[in-house]
Amino acid sequence: MPRSLAGGDLAVPEMAQPYMKKDDDDEDVEYSPFFGIEKGAVLQEARAFHDPQLDVRRCSQVITKLLYLLNQGETFTKVEATEVFFAVTKLFQSSDAGLRRLVYLMIKELSPSSDEVIIVTSSLMKDMNSKTDMYRANAIRVLCRIIDGTLLTQIERYLKQAIVDKNPVVASAALVSGIHLAQANPETVKRWSNEVQEAVQSRAPLVQFHGLALLHQIRQNDRLAVSKLVSSLTRGSVRSPLAQCLLIRYTSQVMRESSMNTQNGDRPFFDFLESSLRHKAEMVVLEAARKITEMDVTSRELTPAITVLQLYLSSSKPVLRFAAVRTLNKVAMTRPLAVTNCNVDLESLMSDQNRSIATLAITTLLKTGNESSVDRLIKQITNFMSDIADEFKIVVVEAIRSLCLKFPLKYRSMLNFLSNSLREEGGFEYKKAIVDSIVTLISEIPDAKEIGLLHLCEFIEDCEFTYLSSQILHFLGNEGPRTSDPSRYIRYIYNRVILENATVRASAVSTLAKFGALVDTLKPRIFVLLQRCLFDTEDEVRDRATLYLQTLSGEVPIGNDEKDAKDFLFGSFDVPLANLEASLRTYEPSEEPFDISLVSREVRSLPLKEKAAPGKRPPAAAAAPAPVSTVDAYQKMLSSIPEFSGFGRLFKSSEPMELTEAETEYAVSVVKHIYDGYIVLQYNCANTIEEQLLEDVTVCVDASDAEEFSEICSKPLASLPYNSPGQVFVAFEKPEGVPAVGKFLNLLKFTVKEVDTTTGEADEDGVEDEYQLEDFEIVSSDYMLRVAVSNFRNAWENMDPESERVDEYGLGVRESLAEAVNAVINILGMQPCEGTEVVPKNARSHTCLLSGVFIGNVKALVRLSFGLSGPNEVAMKLAVRSDDPEVSDKIHEIVASG
Amino acid sequence: MILAVLFANSDGNILIERFHGVPAEERLHWRSFLVKLGSENLKGSKNEELHVASHKSVSIVYTTIGDVCLYIVGKDEYDELALAEVIFAITSAVKDVCGKPPTERLFLDKYGRICLCLDEIVWQGLLENTEKDRVRRLIRLKPPVEP
Repeated sequence: MPRSLAGGDLAVPEMAQPYMKKDDDDEDVEYSPFFGIEKGAVLQEARAFHDPQLDVRRCSQVITKLLYLLNQGETFTKVEATEVFFAVTKLFQSSDAGLRRLVYLMIKELSPSSDEVIIVTSSLMKDMNSKTDMYRANAIRVLCRIIDGTLLTQIERYLKQAIVDKNPVVASAALVSGIHLAQANPETVKRWSNEVQEAVQSRAPLVQFHGLALLHQIRQNDRLAVSKLVSSLTRGSVRSPLAQCLLIRYTSQVMRESSMNTQNGDRPFFDFLESSLRHKAEMVVLEAARKITEMDVTSRELTPAITVLQLYLSSSKPVLRFAAVRTLNKVAMTRPLAVTNCNVDLESLMSDQNRSIATLAITTLLKTGNESSVDRLIKQITNFMSDIADEFKIVVVEAIRSLCLKFPLKYRSMLNFLSNSLREEGGFEYKKAIVDSIVTLISEIPDAKEIGLLHLCEFIEDCEFTYLSSQILHFLGNEGPRTSDPSRYIRYIYNRVILENATVRASAVSTLAKFGALVDTLKPRIFVLLQRCLFDTEDEVRDRATLYLQTLSGEVPIGNDEKDAKDFLFGSFDVPLANLEASLRTYEPSEEPFDISLVSREVRSLPLKEKAAPGKRPPAAAAAPAPVSTVDAYQKMLSSIPEFSGFGRLFKSSEPMELTEAETEYAVSVVKHIYDGYIVLQYNCANTIEEQLLEDVTVCVDASDAEEFSEICSKPLASLPYNSPGQVFVAFEKPEGVPAVGKFLNLLKFTVKEVDTTTGEADEDGVEDEYQLEDFEIVSSDYMLRVAVSNFRNAWENMDPESERVDEYGLGVRESLAEAVNAVINILGMQPCEGTEVVPKNARSHTCLLSGVFIGNVKALVRLSFGLSGPNEVAMKLAVRSDDPEVSDKIHEIVASG
Repeated sequence: MILAVLFANSDGNILIERFHGVPAEERLHWRSFLVKLGSENLKGSKNEELHVASHKSVSIVYTTIGDVCLYIVGKDEYDELALAEVIFAITSAVKDVCGKPPTERLFLDKYGRICLCLDEIVWQGLLENTEKDRVRRLIRLKPPVEP
């Protein structure tokens, strides 16, 4: 990197290096006109601005030098800047046009402070009313750059005039100033609406462009006004291609919003967009094509847009090729079939000089290609990979992974490609993307397993990333023992124990032990290897080796048989790791051992906001602890209350549900705690009135609409002072393990005492009072825990097919498919798996996978298949498997009644 | 918004830079990112051949004109197509001022004029004027000739 860049502060002496002429004559050395330029000297020269007889040429040179200094990142101190600014203002005396133009620029560059502005405003105001158009235009631009809100009202009248000035430069200057001013002074600029409207009708193309931009900015929050603006302009003629592009954007925005509202798919402006495809300006055509592809259109409506994009793929202009391939790439994500016609053109772009274009072409082809072209494609990509950067490579690797899942028969060539890429140079993110892809392919395509594992083994022989080595060893331990010849992997694993750092060695010991535990024929040999690990220099490695040797040889009895020992060593936790981590953090060392069965098994979904930001999602551990520790805290708190300590294990606690309106005197919310045979209602109460103290606070619960529940005890709150929340509990008994439902009516009862806010003392006498709370219900989903499974297909197939219950439901007309999917997920209260809760845009059908644990510890899995028939008429097929067929039926009942 | 207009010489030294709506602390990052992009892709490329890239949500269009590299960064409505329009306006104006694709020396000789052209074409992140003839007149404070 050049010196002057490295520091960010581009000092002039460094910058001003001898200029080497690159022509034939190398000896001819020229110097930059700014060679040896120094801030102090230039500031000295600026004194020439004060001369009574101005030397215009000299002044212009000094201003150029000042501009150069500013552009090189040189900063002026406050005093220097003020001095230069005052000197520059003197130059208004000169009537030389060239110098005046430089003065305008210089003032903008110096951006004087508000107390200095006053010096130039009168000169600028004078220029703004000058007869010379160009003085007016420039004065407007300078003024708008430097003034504040109060001054703006003074010159508003002139600006409004300028907007409709017959000179297009003056009008544009005022309009662009308006766009900038609208950010800080939207109300003022809104008043210019009529003038701007007139400017939009201007014959000058640029005035129309700037006018349209400003008018839209003024009206952007008024949907109807934007719609009117668009419909009037789409009928008329817009002269400037730039304005036409804006109009296309606004039109598509109006269409999007109106189709969302009316739901009838009416597209009144579609013809305008389609006609724009035949516009003479390329920019307009591409914009129209892009907007059409972003809309929910039929294949027939899409075709013309794709055709023009295809034409631009072979354009001689790189920008057009880029724009076209970028748009097609987006289309290929949702509608790959629509793009297949362009495959030939896309293939020729793979050798494009511009790597961005080539990468986009490849990833598009990977989405649209068919099975027969895969091998050829892979071959071409291999040549290409060596000369692109890591971030492009990751995009390609991810595209290859999806392609392989689409054409599983082609796994061989794709795995080879991935493994070759592993051997090439590359950073961690790139290698991780490849390893993740291979792991996914192995998990999804059974035939790819052995070959894929061997590729991974070869990689860890020479892997510089500890994280990846450990990940692969763990994966190898799970998958390797179940292959036809597990012994072939042992060499690779044991090599790690000899050659690697402590973290990898420890992982390798665990992997060895898994092979020993699962493959009887290997067990004696594994024992020998593990015994060698007992002499490792690292505690962790030795500890692991000792543990595995003892448990696998049966010296330390765990459970009843060998299976228990294996489960103990290698079984997966049935609690989410984030929950376990949170519980361990809150565990205080004591006589009482840590009990893993008390850790919550519920997966709390991340707040929607975080989900919506792909790539920026914080690590799960960082997001999860807060809610998890609340669940843990509930268990701890409830079991410390004697009345509830005999209720057993807490199955689930709901989110708090508000029972009062916001900002009322008392704020009450309820949390439903579900046990096998009981429920506990926790009312969180807060007193928001400083002049009151509440005592003997109880909640009277009327459960007459919840027949299966009977109240057994209640725990009132002795006192509820201002701003110090407390809890009232009411417990109900219900039939053991039965998901009883019902409605609960609530009334808050208490004694109010007046409080003297100055002393904080309460009156002795109080008045009894009550406060009506909202009702709430216990519903079936309260008995369902959101518990994820890592591999839904395996889990589904491992469940008894006899327990499966299938039925079909008509959901009627819904807002969208995604809305219907979410509604069913909410009714069931189950955990969506494998990202299937996300419905792709424009999808006509969708399958959603859910998993959960129903009360009584019954695992349940649900497959929901949705389909659209007619305009937004949603039909659904629901298949349930569970450990208990009755629960399968129950889930159908929940959906039927929901 | 046009986030940045940046002229650099072939060694990557900045000649003129204009940022709009880019926080000061991010400018260094952009500067080095653009110069790196140019050093990787502009070597041996034809005069005024446009290069294009996208980085996160922004588009970048860049080119060489004579010995000088020109980079323009934009986002939202200033996508690669609009930026191509901007870069075309700037390169035409620079050639017009210099009389030909400039050497670095010539560029620096005409530095003041070029700054004025830039001021006419891009103003605080918005495209204001596009035609070189009009820009040529505007920097001399002469009104444009109406077609």
